[in-house]
Amino acid sequence: MSFFGTDIKTQKVEMLKGIRVFRELSRKEILEVEALLHERTYEQGEIVFGEGDPGHGIFIVLSGKLRAHPSCELMKTAGLEFGPGELVGELSLFDESPRIATVVAVERTVAVALFQAEFSSLLVKNKSIGVKVLIEIARTLSLRTRQLLLGEKRVPSL
Amino acid sequence: MKTFSQPGALTLLASILITCLLLFLFQKMIWFVVPFLLALMLCYCLRPAVSFLAVRGISHDNAARAVWLLLQVTTAIILIAGAFWATAKADAWRDDFGHYVSGGQNLIVNSFAMIEKRVSPLQQTNMSAQTEQWLRQSSNRFAEKNLLPIALLALKWFPSVLLVPYLAYFMLIDSARLKKYLIKSVPNAYFERALLLFSRLDESLQNYFQGLLQLTLLDTLFLGLGLAALGIHHAIWLGLAAAILAWIPYIGSVFGAVLVVIIAATDFPDKAGVAYACLALFAAVRMLDDLVFLPFTIGRKLHVHPVLSVLMLFLGVTVAGATGLVLVLPLFGVVTVVGESVAQVMNDPELKARYKISRQLAVAAVSKHL
Repeated sequence: MSFFGTDIKTQKVEMLKGIRVFRELSRKEILEVEALLHERTYEQGEIVFGEGDPGHGIFIVLSGKLRAHPSCELMKTAGLEFGPGELVGELSLFDESPRIATVVAVERTVAVALFQAEFSSLLVKNKSIGVKVLIEIARTLSLRTRQLLLGEKRVPSL
Repeated sequence: MKTFSQPGALTLLASILITCLLLFLFQKMIWFVVPFLLALMLCYCLRPAVSFLAVRGISHDNAARAVWLLLQVTTAIILIAGAFWATAKADAWRDDFGHYVSGGQNLIVNSFAMIEKRVSPLQQTNMSAQTEQWLRQSSNRFAEKNLLPIALLALKWFPSVLLVPYLAYFMLIDSARLKKYLIKSVPNAYFERALLLFSRLDESLQNYFQGLLQLTLLDTLFLGLGLAALGIHHAIWLGLAAAILAWIPYIGSVFGAVLVVIIAATDFPDKAGVAYACLALFAAVRMLDDLVFLPFTIGRKLHVHPVLSVLMLFLGVTVAGATGLVLVLPLFGVVTVVGESVAQVMNDPELKARYKISRQLAVAAVSKHL
């Protein structure tokens, strides 16, 4: 029985399964993760987080588009738009470091947020989910670092 | 990194006022507040067991259900066994109660008599005789005056006690959903700060309740062993009673010590040394609590200044009597954490500006379709 909101629909599980970070998770594992995700809707032009803000988690774009506005010159050369399925703010998932860019919604955007403290508790409770999600985040970080170092026009880590 | 302004005297004053107001309200609905707090305590204490099962591959909801069911079965067995035991021992307990009440009266009267003997100006006041007469009259009237109100009070609290497992079940199962539900209503500008606040509150409460339980177990163990070594009857039960009384900050330990000293003085009327040894044991356990156990149990550290703690205790008693005394410090700790976070957010012009812009953008987005 659930008092707070309806039970998760198959559609939502399928949507989350389509996201790269969660692609290796089983349906049961997706349901465990979904309980920790916070869905937010941002209007066009709305700030998701600002540069220098203390970072407490990551955002995963479900629909719409986000754009990063960094003050760092190196990052300005990279393509800084994030579409559906992409991660934003993954660096702060590990050390609560300050955000290195301001991220703004280019259009009406729906994103889910995964809070650092909740993610840490998930890592302790369910190592299987933790390992699968962490590997995908590490892949994203590795890809973005390589792209930044090689000067390719792709998004760096935020 | 962006820095946030530190909360000042105004925030502290607001926290004190809100604590007093909440205590006043809690006192009015104490029938719900007590089971709610007990359920919250139970929930935080059961969480490690739920995590233990969850780590072994059971889903959170099923793990919570299994732990809750196990608790219910254990409680039912203990209650049934306890009821049989209490029925068998009722007569002996009634005799023991009368014995210890009169032992306590003798201790008080003898203490006054000893003081009178040593302080000559007091001899004329005849304090010990007057006290003895008052105590005898009070104890004679005690049963006829208080038995019915006590029975009615127990009857009144029975439904509230039944609420505890019911509330604890839903807290275990639905706390994450409730948190999500509450966070949903927070505007985007304050979203991350709200999540952080919830996390801090959750951590503080978990530390407090789990720490309190650990401390109670340690106190029970050390007091029980110490009292047993001194030859006091029912040592473990007395240790448990004193450890639970210590939940009331500062004066709870004094009540516990007085209780044990009365029992020691009654059981060993000719050996004053036993009563003094009990007092020394309480002092030693108190010191162990402060110097050794507290750093381990962490939870009771609510980061409230000692002077402020005493002030809050007085305010708690004034506003809500005995309820206030028990609840004031943990409540003040929670209100302070919330107050400081809210003050930081309210004083952040950037967050306020972002909130204002978000609202304007939301209105503009809706207006487009009109």
